[in-house]
Amino acid sequence: MTSIAHTDSDHGHSHDHEDHPPEQYYSSKVEPPILGIYLFLASEAMLFGSFFAAYFFARVAVPHEFWPPIRPGTNVQFQLPVFLALINTIILVTSSVTVHWAVTSLKRNYRAGLIAGLSLTVLLGLTFLLIQIREYMRIGFSPRDEAFGSTFFGLTGLHGAHVFMGLMFLTFALMRSMKGHYSAKHHLGLELPAIYWHFVDVMWIVVYVMVYVV
Amino acid sequence: MSTHTIEHGEHEVGHAPSPPDRRNLLQRPGWIRGALYTAIGFGIATAFVTGIRSLGDLDPVWELDVLLTAWTVIVPLAFLAGMGVFSYWIYWVTGKPTQPEDHSGHGAESWKDYFRVNTDHKVIGVQYLITVFFFFIIGGLMAMFIRAELAEPGTQLIDPNAFNGFTSVHATLMIFLFVVPVFAGLGNYVIPIMIGATDMAFPRLNALSFWMLPIAGFIILASFLLPGGAFSAGWTNYAPLATQQPDSNLMFQMGVQWAGASSIATALNFLVTIITMRAPGMTFFRMPLLVWANFTTSTLVVLATPFIAGSQFLLMFDRVLHTNFFEVAGGGYVVGYQHIFWFYSHPAVYIMLLPGFGIVSEVLSVFARKPIFGYRLMALSLVAILFLGFSVWAHHMFVAGMAPWLRIPMMITTLLIAVPTGIKVFSWLATLWEGRIHFKTPMLWAVGFISMFVIGGLSGIMLGSVPIDQHASDTYFVVAHIHYVLYGGSVFTIFAGVYYWFPKMTGRMYNEALGKAHFWLTFVAFNVTFFAQHWVGLQGMPRRVADYDPAFANWNMISSIGGFVLGASTLIFLYNMLVSWRSGAPAPGNPWRALTIEWQISSPPSKYNFDEIPQVVGGPYEYGVPGARHVVLNGSRTVETEKPEPATAGAEH
Repeated sequence: MTSIAHTDSDHGHSHDHEDHPPEQYYSSKVEPPILGIYLFLASEAMLFGSFFAAYFFARVAVPHEFWPPIRPGTNVQFQLPVFLALINTIILVTSSVTVHWAVTSLKRNYRAGLIAGLSLTVLLGLTFLLIQIREYMRIGFSPRDEAFGSTFFGLTGLHGAHVFMGLMFLTFALMRSMKGHYSAKHHLGLELPAIYWHFVDVMWIVVYVMVYVV
Repeated sequence: MSTHTIEHGEHEVGHAPSPPDRRNLLQRPGWIRGALYTAIGFGIATAFVTGIRSLGDLDPVWELDVLLTAWTVIVPLAFLAGMGVFSYWIYWVTGKPTQPEDHSGHGAESWKDYFRVNTDHKVIGVQYLITVFFFFIIGGLMAMFIRAELAEPGTQLIDPNAFNGFTSVHATLMIFLFVVPVFAGLGNYVIPIMIGATDMAFPRLNALSFWMLPIAGFIILASFLLPGGAFSAGWTNYAPLATQQPDSNLMFQMGVQWAGASSIATALNFLVTIITMRAPGMTFFRMPLLVWANFTTSTLVVLATPFIAGSQFLLMFDRVLHTNFFEVAGGGYVVGYQHIFWFYSHPAVYIMLLPGFGIVSEVLSVFARKPIFGYRLMALSLVAILFLGFSVWAHHMFVAGMAPWLRIPMMITTLLIAVPTGIKVFSWLATLWEGRIHFKTPMLWAVGFISMFVIGGLSGIMLGSVPIDQHASDTYFVVAHIHYVLYGGSVFTIFAGVYYWFPKMTGRMYNEALGKAHFWLTFVAFNVTFFAQHWVGLQGMPRRVADYDPAFANWNMISSIGGFVLGASTLIFLYNMLVSWRSGAPAPGNPWRALTIEWQISSPPSKYNFDEIPQVVGGPYEYGVPGARHVVLNGSRTVETEKPEPATAGAEH
């Protein structure tokens, strides 16, 4: 990739090359950072897996009629805002579409689409996060309320932290795009946050189905 | 820096070398800025916690649990930022002009360069090795205390709580700060060269991986300074014991997080390097077995280590936020901790063994002057262990009260793992068969490894069987088993690797006589220390207890004497390494007449390993095969071809 001026191979003396390494040969068509982020996301998926493991253990350990548990002092169960979370799911899925639009716009050198796509993605992500915070404040139980509360806040909180990180990356990418950075050929700095964002989206669908629906 | 053009793409090159850093010492990346940022980080973390707690009317405002959590997260990050580990990324993400890679971070001119952030894989490899052997010595000293206390029944030196602290920290250091990262260190040095690359795929990530490691060690050791002494729930740190421990237990949890992050980052780096940066002609089935071993190990690390991170996160939440993940009273499932923990920690056994398998394969083939027997099966058995390794975790929990139906499947998969492992052992023996064996020090360690590992493997098959495990669980039989696997197994391969590549890394030969003395003393003392523990274990001596029944006194005294000799034998190693590094005989490029690429270049390698990327033309182990070549190096050097040996060696190829 980095092609450093380097033509004196016929001399063959190491001293000629002291200041620059020889041109690296790449044995795969995949760009190293792209492969790197996929491996990182595999690792991240396993981290989610460990939280899901704790969640499933708790679900198996707690009798069905006490999941969700009974609200203290009453005889009704805690309730999860399934509908609100569905709206949040739609918001996040939409943001995956907009970030994809931003990346394809950049590859076609359509800068307005890049800026618009990224701005929409950041706004949608922020909305998701605000709705999630609002939901936390009104949900009526805390992480200390039984394994139910712990696993709910554990999984959604872990996911929320990922949304936050993804938003940071996307915001910086947006700022750089506005400054005129990236081009149709050099778009790794946008592509990596976009892949991360898709992962956050997919993880949310899993969290939504497993925690809210099932 | 304002003179740089703004970088529009990621791959723009051809900048002029960056001007010298004119910032003063407090602003320039390094130890002084690191200390300053550490202090600032400490202040921010303290203010953050006490501020939020006083705003939220939480009592007490000064809560050590919460403060320790904040300190162990924020202070190390601040330190790393001060050292300059993050500088490039912060510039890159925010779109500021980045310092172009001018390779100023490559190579080491003096010993001081090893104490700076360096992006050269060879420097990082040495940094790793020095750091982990430092923790090896500390962990070894704790073992000396443990054996001194156990020399006789009753209380000798340390009270039971301190004893439990020593056993816990000893195991934690040896596993997370020695055996796991030492292979990252060796791999860092040799693997890029072995596959014909100039460096790792992500040199800056590599530097970060290394610098997270001493942080982990520091946090774990700092637990001794906290009220109540070091964490003492064992290296497994089971809930609910862990949540009932003093605050120092948090230091285990956070230390493991840093060590785990370090090893995930390195493993990811190895995988990308091995997949994308192999030299032309280096197909997967031409890779040296160490590269294969590292490839499978790294896959294990990337996929399994998040589980120990998860288990410690959840434990930390239970402790600090009083959640109920593993609290039975709150509906949590306490055995769940063990499932999540062992889902990492059993694959971790292979993380600690597979690279050693790779090292032994290199060493045996070279010193038996024969091709490795069954090369492809050797590689594929590693892959088989990788998959099977994920399916056996609950054999650590046969007596833990887990679901009984899980026992038999876990027993079967556990015994199945003996198949690929057996393939390896028999292939090594077949490699030795009719070889021209040269018993140099690395070879002694490799052969010693095979015999010791077989003992550990056999006791492992015993422990993998449910009825024997129910009898021997939590006894010294398990202690003996783990030490035959991790000391007689992993540590022997580590010594084999360190002696084998010492000439390459330092450019000097080690002292062969001292190396052999080290091996024989260790080999004998190791067996004296740990073999007797099989017997006292089967008779029922429990592990992790400071006192024991006088009936076990004789064997324990023998074990302790063996332990002290074992400790002393390590001094020979340290003396040999230090003196040989300073004043050993200069090493030629290829003292072992090996075929793999790292031996075809100078010792130590030049700054960028190669003048030109080598061309791989054959397998890596064609010893004794006339005219066989593994690699062709362009430029002035030609490959040192193997002198044809008498046809008896490796004639079947």
